[in-house]
Parts: sequence; structure tokens; C-alpha cells
Amino acid sequence: MKKFLFFITLNLIGIFSIAQINQSIFLIARNTGEKQLANNDTIRVFGFATSLNAQPNVPGPTLIMNEGDSIEIDVWNVSQGAPHTIHLHGLDVNQQNDGVPHLSFDIPHMDHGFYYFKAPHAGTYLYHCHVASTIHVQAGMYGLIIVRPPNGSYTTYTGGDSFDNELPLFMSEIDTTWHRDSVLLHDHDTSLSIHLVDIPDYDPQHFLVNGFSDQQIVQNQIALNTNVGKVSYVRLANIGYFGTRIIFPSALNAKIVTSDGRPLPNPEINDTVYVYPGERYGVLVEPSTPLMDSITIEYINMNNSVVKGVQKVAVDVGPLGIPDFKNAELSLSIFPNPFQSETTVQLTVNVSSKIKVNVKDLNGKIIGVLANKLFEPGNYQLKFEDNSLAKGVYLIEVLKDNKQLVSKKIIKL
Amino acid sequence: MSLKKYLILFYCTLLIQIVFAINVNQTLYINSDNYMAVDTTQFPYYSFNQTPIFQAENKRIIISPNDSLFLMIINNDTLTHGFNIKNYLGVNKTIFAGDTAYVACTFSSAGINLYYDSFNYPDNRYMGLGGMIVVDGSNASKFFWNIKEHQKLWNISLANGGSVVWQNYYPDYFTINGNSNPDINLDTNARITGNIGDTIRIYISNTGQAIHSLHFHGYHSTIVHSSKNPNHVGRLKDTFPIGSMESLILELIPNQIGEYPVHDHNLVAVSGGHIYPNGMFLTILIQ
Repeated sequence: MKKFLFFITLNLIGIFSIAQINQSIFLIARNTGEKQLANNDTIRVFGFATSLNAQPNVPGPTLIMNEGDSIEIDVWNVSQGAPHTIHLHGLDVNQQNDGVPHLSFDIPHMDHGFYYFKAPHAGTYLYHCHVASTIHVQAGMYGLIIVRPPNGSYTTYTGGDSFDNELPLFMSEIDTTWHRDSVLLHDHDTSLSIHLVDIPDYDPQHFLVNGFSDQQIVQNQIALNTNVGKVSYVRLANIGYFGTRIIFPSALNAKIVTSDGRPLPNPEINDTVYVYPGERYGVLVEPSTPLMDSITIEYINMNNSVVKGVQKVAVDVGPLGIPDFKNAELSLSIFPNPFQSETTVQLTVNVSSKIKVNVKDLNGKIIGVLANKLFEPGNYQLKFEDNSLAKGVYLIEVLKDNKQLVSKKIIKL
Repeated sequence: MSLKKYLILFYCTLLIQIVFAINVNQTLYINSDNYMAVDTTQFPYYSFNQTPIFQAENKRIIISPNDSLFLMIINNDTLTHGFNIKNYLGVNKTIFAGDTAYVACTFSSAGINLYYDSFNYPDNRYMGLGGMIVVDGSNASKFFWNIKEHQKLWNISLANGGSVVWQNYYPDYFTINGNSNPDINLDTNARITGNIGDTIRIYISNTGQAIHSLHFHGYHSTIVHSSKNPNHVGRLKDTFPIGSMESLILELIPNQIGEYPVHDHNLVAVSGGHIYPNGMFLTILIQ
């Protein structure tokens, strides 16, 4: 009877714990990914996927959560190789959830590992495997974590600046000689938690932004598209083994406001930001004039301070207040478009009207209703966010008094 | 406050500082020998030590603001060396083999001052000759990291009178106070231990040649001194880049128990002799 009660109590504790979780995240650690480089070569990568059918991307999926949320991350190792972990870089989780094999735990092939933590201060963080980390991080086992304020708003942190859109720029490098099986598939004694691993010389040939380099950056529409008067939040992070120097066009009026998930005591007005391995910075930009330019990213060898690679991220600042649609009664702007995880429909209503705003796929199927009510004259912002939505083209449809007023294409990246 | 009262207070404070300031005499021997790395590889190395016996770790000098520091530097090597203190005018010395130099200096404000071999710069300093003079009057628990890195073949070349091209530098050993993982944790001056709520200060100098980016697991720390970026003081961070001949003082007030790593996040620097994890990696232990 005592044993039965103990078992019931344990189960109740487990159920209670699960009931407290605000967000469950599932990641599959894989050793069998492929990555096409800018020169069309394909290399082997390790990485994190969200389903068995999906290739692990480099970087892995961006994890988005709200400050104060209780998070569970289930990592399933389907690697047929070395153990894996995730280190929650900068989140200051407790030792058990820190992801360092010999101080926490590792996850052998076909096992699940569960990480529990409360999302800390709003900011930008990283996750990466900490098993033989020099190899596994270069192999591709890393991703970005964005913690929003408790209300999920587009605000740098509670009490910080609000912004209209955000652009993560996540820097790393690839040395293709490290992506050979002889390097990646290192020995691993499963009875040990510290793996002694041979490390080759590091001489990267590819310098990445969000996993892409050179023309891939344009092809994948990694760009700052904004308008005069809009505030954009650029999240800079570096998981590479080189330092980076990020140079913003002066007309963007860059202001550094956060670093490593914390507000700077004194925001710094500076067009140049150095982001070294493991660091993150948050930079607000608010252009005052239309602009076609680029953000320059230089990759600096830590051993000799020589710049080894340069990437450019396009900047397109449109003029103030040109809406996507306008008539006497209503104007509509969709921003950003294309978008990565979230876009905002800004409505300016001049005449009181019953308005419905749908998000539809190209087959006409409604996949979301952003508003359906009587709007009094004024400005309204309707946010659309759907992380599960597949990449592609969708429609924002606005109906006034049940008649279609306008249908605008939006692109999910 | 009236000007008179202000002046009285100012001079009283100054007097107290002068009364409590003391003379500190230190002897530094310039020694050379073979350094034994974590994998037992050996290569030539120079160091400033307290005695004529070679140690990889440079002598750490700790004084209070306004103390008068008198240094006697004895060149115990067979080669010419030098001595200087970064950003301190008038103390640069050339010291021939077997000679002795004398330096007197005073530092009015808290911080880290880097001393180094200024002869044949930066080669001799790279070979190991660089340490820290810590000026501090705080009651915090103190830990000290003098970080360096070396390319074995370069040490051998320089010790034999050869030359190197710094643009080709590729270090293969990474150390804190002369040790690599796992030996760093045996150095009680380097390995951070303490309790929740303690005020802990970490004094970091980079007397090597490369940039390092030190990442703390488990905690954020506040920058209380930055030789390169004084405007960074007050920033609360988990990752701290530090360039060659720069210094940082961090303040950590731990809020959770556990054992957490600190390591260079240029993850190549976590290796030693091309073996992971024999590089710049240690742990913090909070009870």
C-alpha cells in the first residue's frame, strides 16, 4: 500500500509539473544532415530538426518564448553516433539543465533528454550541443533563442524600447575540412562523459549569416527591409570561432541597447559593433531617410586579428508612410513582408466600418482571422504569427461589409 | 557643502590614504626553461618569477591604491630582456643578462596594470613574460586569470633566435596562470569557489597574443574595470572578449549552487595540442 501511494504521489508530482509547463519544444539531434554551400558544394552537417522527415538545418530552428514561461525541451538523439546535449547559452539555467555532459547529462543514441527551465530576462540567447563542442558546434548543432517580454510584445525588454520588426543576424563559419566523416564521426566511449577528440587546424572558407553566405544571403532574402520612421531590432549573435565586426550604414542611426540578454546601463550610439564568439548584441535602427545600402559583416581571425571574410546584408529603407493599399475609407500596410515568424498588418480606418481581415493560402483556404469587428476611425496593428506555417506565399484579405476590399500577397520565409 | 568643508574633507581623505599607503618591495627574476604542456609536450618559455626557480605562472603583485611599489628585476637568463608597465611612463628598462633593474611606481586608482618584457616586443612577452599588478582595496573574494596561448613551434623558433610572422600565428596551447584543463581547476587562485550571495571579483589579464572570448555558464557578471572599453563598465554579461594586453575585472554574485564551466568560446581554444578539451576551460563551484 505504501509503495502504491508513493507511486501515485510521484505520478501526481509529474502531472503537476507538466501542468506548469507553458511551452514544450521538441528537437531531434541528427548526424546525417547535408548542407549546400554558396559554391554549390554539399557537406555533411550535424543539426537539430523538428521531425524525422525533416533535414536538420544549420542553424537549427529559432526557439521563441516569453520571459517567465516554464519551458520543456525534449531532445531526441537519433544520430547513430555520439551522444548529444543542448547547452542553453546565457540562460543561466541550473547545473542539471546546463547541457555539459560531465556536469549535467548527455543523451545517447535513441534516448530522450529533457531540459526544464524558466525563460529568463527578455533577450537573445543561443543553444548548442556541448558534447565535444569544438566539433559538434562546427558540425552545425546550434540555434538561436529569442526571449520576448512576458506579454510577448515587440519590445526589447520590459520597460525597453518597442520596435516594429526584427532581423536576427547569426554569424558562424564553416571549414569544409572539418565536415569529413574522419573528423565528425569522432571516437566516443559511451562509458565516459568527457570525450577526448582530435581537433584539426581551423581555416574556414565560408562565412555565414543565418547559415548562408554570399549570394545565398540574397536568395534567402536576409535583408533589412523597413521604412523611414520604423524601428527595427537587429539581434546580433556569434557562434563561430572568429570574431565579427558589424558595420551599419550611418543613416540607420544604430543604437546598441542590449548585450547577452541584459540591457546596457547606458545605450551606445555606434555604427560599429564587435560581436565575439558566444556574444549577443541588440541594436535598434531607426532610419531617417530612404536608403539602399548594406550592413557589412567582417569575420576576424582571433589569432591575428586579420579579416578573413566579409558578407553584406542588404538594407532597403522605403519612404515614410506609403501604404500597400489606400482609399478614402481605409489604408493598409503589411510589415515586414517577407517575414520570418511574425508580420503586422497596420490598418488606418477613416470611416467607421465592419472589417474582417483573413489570412488565406493560395487555394483560398482561411488559415487565420486577424480581426472581424466594427472598427472606429483610428490606427490599428494586427499581428500575425504562426511558427508552424510552411514557407511560401499567402494572402492577407480585407473585407469591408463582407465584400473584398483588397487582397495582398505576403511571403513566409 | 561649503568650499572650506569640502577642502577639509578632501585633504583628510588624502591624508588617510597617504597614512595607510605602504611601501611594497618585490623582486622579479626573469627565468627561462622548458614549459611542460598539458599533454607533456615541452617547449621553451620565459617567466617573471619570485625566485630564481622557473615557474610558468608569472608573479602576481597585489597592492592597494597609493602604495609605493619598488621592484627589483633580475635577469636570470642568458639573453637581454626588458621591463615595462603598460601605460605607465618612465619605467621602461633594458636588462642585460645577469643585470638588475630597479623600478618605483605608484597607482592611485584600482585596476589591473600589465607588466611585461618590452625588449624585442612582442616576441619576449609572447614567450611568457607578462603578468599583472593588481591595485585593489575591495573586500571581495578574489580570483586571478593571466591568460596566454602558444604555438609550440614558434616558441622553439624564437628561443633559437628565429623570427615569426604574426599574421600566420596559429596557437596550439591555451593557458590560464600557466595551466590548461584539467589542471586549471587545481589552482585555487584561478578556480572560483564560493557561496550564494558572495561578492566575487575575477581579475583577468591577457598577456598572450590572441583575442579570447570567455563565456560563463550559470551566471552573468558585471564588468567593473575594462582597460580597453571603460564605457563597458556596469554591463552585465555572460561572455567577455579580451584582446592582447588588455585587462578586465568582473564582479560575480552567484545566485544558484552548482558547478558551471567557464571557457573560451573560440572553441578551438578549448583544445590543447589539438586535443579537446585540454585548453582554456575551468569550472566555478558554488555551494
